[in-house]
Amino acid sequence: MTVVGDAMVRAVSVRKSYGFFEALRGIDLEVTTGEVLCLIGPSGSGKSTFLRCINHLEKIDGGRLEVAGQLVGYREHNGRMYELRDREVCAKRAEIGMVFQRFNLFPHMTVMDNVTLAPVMVKGESRAAVGDRARALLARVGLADKVDNYPNQLSGGQQQRVAIARALAMQPKLMLFDEPTSALDPELVGDVLDVMRGLAEDGMTMVVVTHEMGFAREVGDTLVFMDAGMVVETGKPREVLANPRSERTKAFLAKVL
Amino acid sequence: MTTEADARPEASMTAVPVRHPGRWLAAVVVLVLVAMFVHTVTVSKVTRGGKSVHRYEWEVIRSYFLSRQVFDGLVVTLELTVLAMVIGITLGIVVAVLRLSPNPLLSTASWLYIWFFRGTPVYVQLLFWYQIGYLYPRLTLGVPFGPALLHLNANTFITSFVAAMIGLGLNEGAYMAEIVRAGIISVDEGQTEAAQALGMSRLQAMRRVVLPQAMRVIVPPTGNETISMLKTSSLAATISVAELTFSVQTIYARTYRVIPMLMVASFWYLIVTSVLTVGQYYIERYFARGAVRQLPLTPLQKVRGQVARIVMTRRDLPGAPARRR
Repeated sequence: MTVVGDAMVRAVSVRKSYGFFEALRGIDLEVTTGEVLCLIGPSGSGKSTFLRCINHLEKIDGGRLEVAGQLVGYREHNGRMYELRDREVCAKRAEIGMVFQRFNLFPHMTVMDNVTLAPVMVKGESRAAVGDRARALLARVGLADKVDNYPNQLSGGQQQRVAIARALAMQPKLMLFDEPTSALDPELVGDVLDVMRGLAEDGMTMVVVTHEMGFAREVGDTLVFMDAGMVVETGKPREVLANPRSERTKAFLAKVL
Repeated sequence: MTTEADARPEASMTAVPVRHPGRWLAAVVVLVLVAMFVHTVTVSKVTRGGKSVHRYEWEVIRSYFLSRQVFDGLVVTLELTVLAMVIGITLGIVVAVLRLSPNPLLSTASWLYIWFFRGTPVYVQLLFWYQIGYLYPRLTLGVPFGPALLHLNANTFITSFVAAMIGLGLNEGAYMAEIVRAGIISVDEGQTEAAQALGMSRLQAMRRVVLPQAMRVIVPPTGNETISMLKTSSLAATISVAELTFSVQTIYARTYRVIPMLMVASFWYLIVTSVLTVGQYYIERYFARGAVRQLPLTPLQKVRGQVARIVMTRRDLPGAPARRR
């Protein structure tokens, strides 16, 4: 199922603080191309923060973070770090798709415009080509008939699937999911997870912050348990979920399973 | 056996409604007052200069309502309103964006601008701009502290109209800045994040994602400001801009028909305000896309709906041809 390749994401003792609060206290982590990595942990453990660092929505304060072999947000020259210009950061982000807990669809645009906006604007693709691709993507997430609807005319699950299609329309090489099903009614969770499962089967590299242990077990290649800004345990999802080694993982899983 | 309790209530409720004598009394009082008002405005007559004339001198109002001088004044009022609002809105957007800038110098500068222009009366500002030639008799365009490229005589360049336009526009800019800022910060931060995650720059996200949504918050107070500007522009009469109020003042200075001429001006202000109100309704409707599930009906659609409903009920009346369901 998984094509194992080079490292897509490599984090070496990544640190991030907000004032005196240390959100990330040295994260070491590697995601290989084609891998599905699930991040679990109690709220406030830094999993979302780490995810947001990957596409530079948050600036890291220390350590080293690379995506596809290139530093995130910085350029290294003669041993010195230079901050990237806004335009360069944007170009990097365009290659990384992100799906948010609260969907964040653009409410003043139709579903179609939501999906086609960025490819036309950021990558300068032709409207016609993007339109065809958008229709195909919307059909893939089961929303071919909602093209002309506005987001608030859709259910939460449908909105999240549009959000996935919107991210995929940029043809990213890496997809980040920030608790994609946490804001959904229970009966709508399945449709979204099915779309994500399909993506994983097609070989997309994915980092998924989730509370869906079933999804993590069946779709994930690696499971990472984080607590208090650190990686506590890493392993095959089945093994970690069945036989957690650390006490903290055990305590957490006892509460959520 | 069927008891009283088993009996099903009738489908439609038939009950004696509560009486409201107080409301009736209030309605009668209002009706009498309205009748008195209509009478005094239309029918009642007074003797002026030995002649019996309408109290409100409708003849005078009618003869000046479409006169050349009033019309010219109205045009100047509209020009002044539009130009001042264009300056105000443009400045407002710029100042609001600067105010939200991470650079402390820029945000402080914009704060000072708002502080100054909101803190002084617009009437004083108009007089100030009218007298600007006292401070700067010669306006110079060139390199700061360096050579000049263009000289202008302030007294000929800053006419009373230009002074009024600058004064009203700068003052409006301060208020519009706060309105635009309120609109921008009303848009959820997740929208900017989603746009940025898709690779859009700050400017692109602002233009295509944040501002269109902020418009929903910005438009109603802006309509309010425009209507307010239409009337505030009458202050320009004090620096002898020949706008609507100034025009009627010139006429009554000659004819002494003060009240009728003020009514002429008031009617025109009311007409323009009404047109602006309708325009605002449609602009608001446009920016409501995606924010409400069903767009509110336009007045025309409402009328059509009412007509359709009446036609439908007619068909259901006894004797009418039965409707197939």
